[in-house]
Amino acid sequence: MPNIDRRIVFILVALAVIIPMLLSVNLPVSVSEPTQKFYDYVEALPAGSTIMIAFDYGPSSLAELNPMAKALLKQCFDRDIRVIAITLVVDAPTLANALIQEVAAEKEAVEGEDYVFLGFRPGPVQVILGMGIDIASVYDTDYNGTAISEIPMMQNITNYDQIDLLVDFASSDTIESWIIYANDRYNQQIAAGVTGVIIAQMFPYLQTGQLVGLLSGILGAAEYENLVGAPAKGMQWINVESFVHLLIVILVIIGNITYFIYRTREG
Amino acid sequence: MKRQVPLVLCFVFGIAMIFTQFSPHSFSQGIYEEVIRWALIIGPFALVLATVTLIQTHTARIRRRTEHWQYSFVVFAGLIVMVLIGIFLKPQNPMFEWLYNNVQLPMDATMFSLLAFFIASAAYRAFRARTFEASLLLITALIVMMGNVPVGDLLSNDTASKARQWILDNPNLSARRGIILGVSLGVISQSIRIILGIERSYLGGGD
Repeated sequence: MPNIDRRIVFILVALAVIIPMLLSVNLPVSVSEPTQKFYDYVEALPAGSTIMIAFDYGPSSLAELNPMAKALLKQCFDRDIRVIAITLVVDAPTLANALIQEVAAEKEAVEGEDYVFLGFRPGPVQVILGMGIDIASVYDTDYNGTAISEIPMMQNITNYDQIDLLVDFASSDTIESWIIYANDRYNQQIAAGVTGVIIAQMFPYLQTGQLVGLLSGILGAAEYENLVGAPAKGMQWINVESFVHLLIVILVIIGNITYFIYRTREG
Repeated sequence: MKRQVPLVLCFVFGIAMIFTQFSPHSFSQGIYEEVIRWALIIGPFALVLATVTLIQTHTARIRRRTEHWQYSFVVFAGLIVMVLIGIFLKPQNPMFEWLYNNVQLPMDATMFSLLAFFIASAAYRAFRARTFEASLLLITALIVMMGNVPVGDLLSNDTASKARQWILDNPNLSARRGIILGVSLGVISQSIRIILGIERSYLGGGD
């Protein structure tokens, strides 16, 4: 059966990525219910609340998850919500720190008062459970080596009891660990932002309320940027993704038409 | 003795931790908190184990001159440079950050980006309506793909995203819940087997 040479498919994909980027196409983005729930939950938190953000992704998923993390950080700093950032992924601290510093500089947030980045500790389950007892027993210093006891915003924070929402930006199964150990055991409210490939497995947790909101891939990032009123990479990349998806759909349809013609001829 | 001690420890700690889940008594919670502290100390050993395994694997590749053995030197170079800078200059050092931002990050992102090309090619070749099940999969995939991007709504007057949401909320959710329940029952059963010493493969030796 005849097939399009895979190199032609590769070139078409490259063009579907490059052309919309050059033309700056802007398609309207509507907001899905899980994203709206996420946004509403954060909006309902009073000023002075504390959100813990877990940057559980490495450079491979940065394109999908950085835009949504950035939009959330902007929303938090705009609303005087304090941010405690951590990561369970060994190659995430540098990228997480860079992102937090970038948004903090833009919003003039003060390190130690408005936000703190605690960095990475090995053993995801132990870290999640340990923070339920005492955050300082897991993180005795922040990413820069400042003792937790010397950080002003950590003075009244001992464990999950003082955390109003935990947000996990993840590209793997860390969300399930957060749900099992932080939500079920410590009743910690959790929201998540995940890559497109694992979105389907998150829906049971959304329905049970174990997740209060959910951002799915680059679409979720674009929706959240829309809600926060800060269109950035998410909005740009969802347009690019639109054209790639459209191309794949067209290719699949062509493949099937070819298949049926071939099958009819062959009898 | 070499096998009995781990089996006894596994049994004692397994049973103790189960009880701590059901007893709010301060004694029980004290045990729980103490064990979590021990676990936090033991956790980092996994990193050491992973590093040792990596070194052993690549040393063996170089010694045996297996295919592409030369790349193992690149692994060692990357490992040594990043570990030395990380330990002695700290990860906040500009040199560490430069290497991360200009070597690891683009390489990692590039590897993942290549998937888009291979998925497009694979979708074109594999998504064929050969049988009823394959047709069902094909139609579902097309709906979810179009519902996942704004162009789908633009072409279908918002129907694509609604259909995608229905698929995720209903058939997907039901199937996932079934899988979660099945896996959870399997985990409980396996945990009981390990605690009671019936399942001993974690001790090694193929027993």
